[in-house]
Amino acid sequence: MVRAALGVGRIDRGPKRLARFVPPISVVAASALSLLPIVANVGWVPDAGFLLLIAWRLLRSDAIPAWWATPLGLVNDLLTGSPVGLSMAIWTAAMLGLDLLDRRTMWRDYWIEWALAALLVLADEAARWRIDALMGAPLPFSVVWPPILIAILTFPVAAWAASALDRWRLGR
Amino acid sequence: MAPPTGARPGWSRRAQYGLFFSFLAAIAGLLIGLFLLGLSLVAPKAYAGVRGVALDVTSPITRALNGATTTVSGLVSGAGNYWDAARQNAALKQQRKLLEQQIIQARAILNENRQLKAALQLRERSPQAVASGRIVGSSFESQRRFAVVSAGSGDGVRVGMPVRASEGLIGRVVEAGATASRVLLISDRATILPTRLLRGGQAVISTGRGDGTVDLRPLEVGRNPFRRGDVVVTSGTGGLYPPNVPVARVVRLDDDGAIAVPLADPANVSFAVVEQPYQPAALANAPAGAGQP
Repeated sequence: MVRAALGVGRIDRGPKRLARFVPPISVVAASALSLLPIVANVGWVPDAGFLLLIAWRLLRSDAIPAWWATPLGLVNDLLTGSPVGLSMAIWTAAMLGLDLLDRRTMWRDYWIEWALAALLVLADEAARWRIDALMGAPLPFSVVWPPILIAILTFPVAAWAASALDRWRLGR
Repeated sequence: MAPPTGARPGWSRRAQYGLFFSFLAAIAGLLIGLFLLGLSLVAPKAYAGVRGVALDVTSPITRALNGATTTVSGLVSGAGNYWDAARQNAALKQQRKLLEQQIIQARAILNENRQLKAALQLRERSPQAVASGRIVGSSFESQRRFAVVSAGSGDGVRVGMPVRASEGLIGRVVEAGATASRVLLISDRATILPTRLLRGGQAVISTGRGDGTVDLRPLEVGRNPFRRGDVVVTSGTGGLYPPNVPVARVVRLDDDGAIAVPLADPANVSFAVVEQPYQPAALANAPAGAGQP
């Protein structure tokens, strides 16, 4: 029986109607995690929006067009309360950098993606640290290492979330 | 093989142009981002409106979630309190007896103090509370230490006002939306607070360290005046913060100063009170945008 071979629930599965908008909406949702009512004395929680954005970008080059990073960064700035323009600039620069890098890389595997994400997280935190210093909070760089390490170790979770969402939105 | 000169999506001109314009849009976005960032560096006040609106839109979410978590944790800790109520009751009764004695002593001291001040004819304003709110959120993904308080310009909160709790000083308002405001905590690196040692009254500068503690340095160079357990209070210098508000307790000494933990832990205070600046002129003289996010 051909129809039985298709299995239950395998018929009529395809891309969701708003599949194009799932990646940006998920990045906004990740940025909105900063609205959780956690009152902490240290800022060690990773920048979830940025992690999910680069996870999407490393998973598929067409999921989020590079220029969408600018409005997404603005939303992140307003939600997390960081200086307006900071995430806009960093996120767009990261997308452009990965676009340029895509022309150079011959092959990719999971470890290279993780290393790229680690480099981007390091650059992101270093830029934030520099801007904080310019805005009157010159912290020693040693304060920034724990959040960098935590963000690098959290990246696989973001990569898993992006791939799970990708399978769901494309109906696979 | 040499790398291809570009990401060509095939022979379609339309697809090629689409890719090219998307690239231009990304570069334009980067430039806009850098421009806005430069503007937030040189003129932080430019964004007061839009950031206040963002605070108003987002804080109800945080507040609702906060209500849910306090209810759940209240159920758990409430059950725990019932568990050994008898022992707690006895301990509290004993504590109450001790406190009653202390209150009587304090009243006597207060009376004496008032008489002495009247004799000296010192004029002092009593700090006026503007509004009170709960601390509903914080900047837990940034190295800057900010908290969100559920009171805004609709309640009379203005940028620059000091915020305190019954336990001690919390910080000062840096952004005010209509229903919520953002507070720069005393543990933020940008907070530099004139304080004095409660024991001895030596002038001390307190600076945040960004990790929930503050760094204390005596104003006069010399022998390290701190001991473990020392408490520093605000000195009232500068006129923004009222004097004699508890700030922090020393936990560790280093070569010429000490590291202290703020007495008012933003995570545990029940209510934050926004007060008028101790001397209203201090608000007008405050450096524009210093410590603004």
